[in-house]
Amino acid sequence: MKYRKIAALTLSLIMAVSVAACGSSSDTQKNADDNAATPSTESNNDAEPAGGDSAESTDITLWTYPIGNWGDSATVDGLISNFETAHPDINVTVEYLDYTNGDDQINTAIEGGQAPDIVLEGPERLVANWGAKGLMVDLADLWTDDAKEAIYDSVENACQDANGVFYEYPLCMTAHTMAINRDMFEAADALQYLDEETRTWTTENFQKAVKAVYDSGQTDVGAVYCSGQGGDQGTRALVNNLYGGTFTNAEHTEYTAGSDENIKALELLNSMEGIKFDSSIAGGDEINLFCNGTLGMAFCWNVAQEKGNADAINFDVLPMAFPTESGDPQLCGGIWGFGIFDNGDEAKISAAKTFIDFMANDETQAVESVKASSYWPVKDLGNIYSDDELMTEYSVFVPYMGDYYQVVGGWAEARTAWWNMLQQIGSGTDVKTAVDEFVTTANAAAAAAQ
Amino acid sequence: MKTSKFNRSTCYKIVSVIVIVIFAIAFFFPLYWIITGSFKTRAAINSTTPQWWPHEWVLDNYDKLFSKQQAPLWQFHIPFTGIEFTGPIVPGAIRWLINTVFMSVMSMILTCITAAMAGYALAKKRFVGRKLVFTLIVCAMALPKQVILIPLLREMSALNLYNTMWAVILPIVGWPFGVFLMKQFSEGIPGEMMEAAKIDGASEWKTFCTIVLPMVKPGIGALAIFTFINSWNEYFMQLIMLSSTENLTISLGIAKLQAENATDFGLIMAGASLAAIPIIVIFLIFQKYFTKGITMGAVKG
Amino acid sequence: MEKKNPMSKALVRRETLAGYSFMLPSLVFFVGFVIYPMIMCIYTGFFDSTMNREDIFIGISNYKELFQDSIFLGALKNTVIIVVVSVPVTCIFSLWVSSVIYNLTGPICSAFRVIFYLPVVTGSVAVTVVWRWMFNNYYGIFNYIGNKTGVLDRNINWLGDEKYALACIIIILLTTSVGQPIVLYVSALNNVDQSLVEAAEVDGATKFQCFWKIKWPQIMPTTLYILVITTINSFQCFALIQLLTSGGPNHSTDTIMYYIYYNAFKLYRYGYGNAMGVILAIIIAVLSALQFKMAKSE
Repeated sequence: MKYRKIAALTLSLIMAVSVAACGSSSDTQKNADDNAATPSTESNNDAEPAGGDSAESTDITLWTYPIGNWGDSATVDGLISNFETAHPDINVTVEYLDYTNGDDQINTAIEGGQAPDIVLEGPERLVANWGAKGLMVDLADLWTDDAKEAIYDSVENACQDANGVFYEYPLCMTAHTMAINRDMFEAADALQYLDEETRTWTTENFQKAVKAVYDSGQTDVGAVYCSGQGGDQGTRALVNNLYGGTFTNAEHTEYTAGSDENIKALELLNSMEGIKFDSSIAGGDEINLFCNGTLGMAFCWNVAQEKGNADAINFDVLPMAFPTESGDPQLCGGIWGFGIFDNGDEAKISAAKTFIDFMANDETQAVESVKASSYWPVKDLGNIYSDDELMTEYSVFVPYMGDYYQVVGGWAEARTAWWNMLQQIGSGTDVKTAVDEFVTTANAAAAAAQ
Repeated sequence: MKTSKFNRSTCYKIVSVIVIVIFAIAFFFPLYWIITGSFKTRAAINSTTPQWWPHEWVLDNYDKLFSKQQAPLWQFHIPFTGIEFTGPIVPGAIRWLINTVFMSVMSMILTCITAAMAGYALAKKRFVGRKLVFTLIVCAMALPKQVILIPLLREMSALNLYNTMWAVILPIVGWPFGVFLMKQFSEGIPGEMMEAAKIDGASEWKTFCTIVLPMVKPGIGALAIFTFINSWNEYFMQLIMLSSTENLTISLGIAKLQAENATDFGLIMAGASLAAIPIIVIFLIFQKYFTKGITMGAVKG
Repeated sequence: MEKKNPMSKALVRRETLAGYSFMLPSLVFFVGFVIYPMIMCIYTGFFDSTMNREDIFIGISNYKELFQDSIFLGALKNTVIIVVVSVPVTCIFSLWVSSVIYNLTGPICSAFRVIFYLPVVTGSVAVTVVWRWMFNNYYGIFNYIGNKTGVLDRNINWLGDEKYALACIIIILLTTSVGQPIVLYVSALNNVDQSLVEAAEVDGATKFQCFWKIKWPQIMPTTLYILVITTINSFQCFALIQLLTSGGPNHSTDTIMYYIYYNAFKLYRYGYGNAMGVILAIIIAVLSALQFKMAKSE
């Protein structure tokens, strides 16, 4: 009797141990030895990837944010299989992140010792956040002289930190715009306030247009969304453009969002009927609400939104630059590319570099990779969208591209403070008080990062 | 006099029942809304006038849910051998269900075994340090796991368990409520029975298996149900500890769906139905045991 | 507990050995995944700890900062509000429901029990996502009903308005927490000694007196148990906040639990988050010790 019980217990224990790996992917088993809490610092140059089986194959993980169709598994599977055909010795596993929880997810993974090998995002995360924290691999090998020659200078500048270390290898870029529901504006007779040719409007006309639409019975014209950081480039660009404010100084060392222009802009937005500060939605929700006709305009917009939501939209979308007093909009750019987390495994790092090189530089693949994002290439690849009307329409915005300031220190903390500030204003806090608090917090983070 | 009193109390009763029926409808409504919502068209869901009953039943949302992400049905790994069994590729949501079942059942089994043993020891053994252990248990019982999230994350990472089901299971098993509950149950075992067994020369282990276990069986049942529901509905630990698609649980999966498609409520409701229906079916089947288990836990707790 | 003669040393040793052998499996988990992290939590609370950098010892600065951090204090206040509101409301509501349904005929009573228990089994995440939809500012059902019945004259942004967000959270929390108390009260009320009730009724006691003088003392242990589990439950409310409001708007729904998470993974302040955890742990330990004392004295 006794032995039977013991045997049963032992058996169940063995069972427990043997399924211990159930639910853990194979690569997590391998790379875990040497990357406990601090994945970076001492990278292991002896390159002793576990088991010696890396000679045959290396497993790497790619985590992507929803950058155009790079967030869609059907498209990405195709891209990955191209790569795996060309490099059968490297297996790529993909995880899809979203802008609501993606950062938390990566941050916990870093702390859990299993940061992804490659991540596809922009400099504000790769360079200003994880790069600055010493978690990323220096991509100097990829930034050859040829690459530097080919890639546009503004992009090149954004992909490196203040010391010239490259943490991102860029793939694509776009200008973030806003958009209006043209049918709705037409019905409200508000089209007269904007220039459909140049896609610009003045601050004054913007107010008139919003009022006209509001008076036509559309109570929700626009929403300053602020439930989280998702899509915050739209709210930043809106505020900065209205009266010509800036978000940081030209050297990207200090936040200047507390300037009079910005305060005036926020006060204006706060006072406008038809525009409300909505802390129950983020950028992604705003896009959906715009697409299904609930909102009359979207501040979080770019060409990929129009492509991706084509099914849901049953009205004429008119992408617009943000309204300005001067007629010289400064659009927020998006630059997306790859970065590599330093997990201390040389084999994985070099496999990751091979992957990036293939995706961004291979002659036929590069075009496909860029097209998957539905944005523009960061270097001259010829006119890859020659027969695409929509892309041609949106290319009018490229000259309005403004400064890429998102590489300022303490960016992650600052953008958290930004949506908190918008929530405060929406809840009735005095604009100046809220903005001052934002600037103090953000600048403290910037100072700490230096 | 007598009749008016009778009337008043009947009146009170009727009014109360009506109010409670209204509350019951309100309680049932979210579930109703999840299930019907999962069959509605996108237009029906986004319309400002709600469709109380779907005009048109569609499976689009489920199609979308099942086509979203794929993962192998199971992955089985024998330690130290490098041998791995991988199941057929299925929609991620199915894998999440499997993971959730695995996690809940594992937590349940481990908790019941450890808690039954420890509860017996605490109730019946007069050992040194017993008071201290018991005090610790009582104090830790109400501790939310969020308190220790950072150290726990680092610990799991050091143990190489991050992003495995075990990172979720082990803290659930460590949570001392079960021990407390089983101690209360074990206290009811008459000492004479154990004395008798001892005189018969039974070993400690045998006494436990033949005398204690049968007597605390109801307690184990209560604990099993309690742990199962709690781990099925656990969310926080999973959020912190699990990251890759094939390791998600169903709660986490829906939360992720929501973050990705914030206003595609049809899709989210399809995910939520998938999460809710299995456990509701289990609950309805074992309803009697649930109520009994819960009550039993309370009587002793 | 039985009184025994002072045990012999050998017996003590034997009992201790046996005791710990039985405790061992449980202790491994308990110490490993509760006590050890708790100790680490206390330890790191004295450090300025962030991602990928050596921790810097800063003494009690984290704690000093905590008590000047208005968001933390707000979160503490919100946590207290949630507990203070939801615990009594849960208890009273479930007692009331049970007192009405417990002597209805079997199937009806159990139907009610099942319905009130459903949100508990449905799971917090599934419940939360549907509430999020129902509270939606633009096409949520509450705004629709409110507008239709004329209670509201415009859409209310339930989760996006400081005035309502916390109340919404509490309402959802209530729906997921009354299930178990109702089950418990129904069975407790059924177990009340009927002969005492009848005797009192013969003596001319009113329904209310009957309840208060006879039933209430008998269901007291159940009440205490319900108090304990509801308190635990309310403290643990995290999914609701993370999925519905992320602590917003303007930190009006931040609880300490969420604020710890927020500090850890949005602001990378691990040491600070841990210090918060310590404060919360102390509060909870004191509370549960008190409740336990109360239970003991009953």
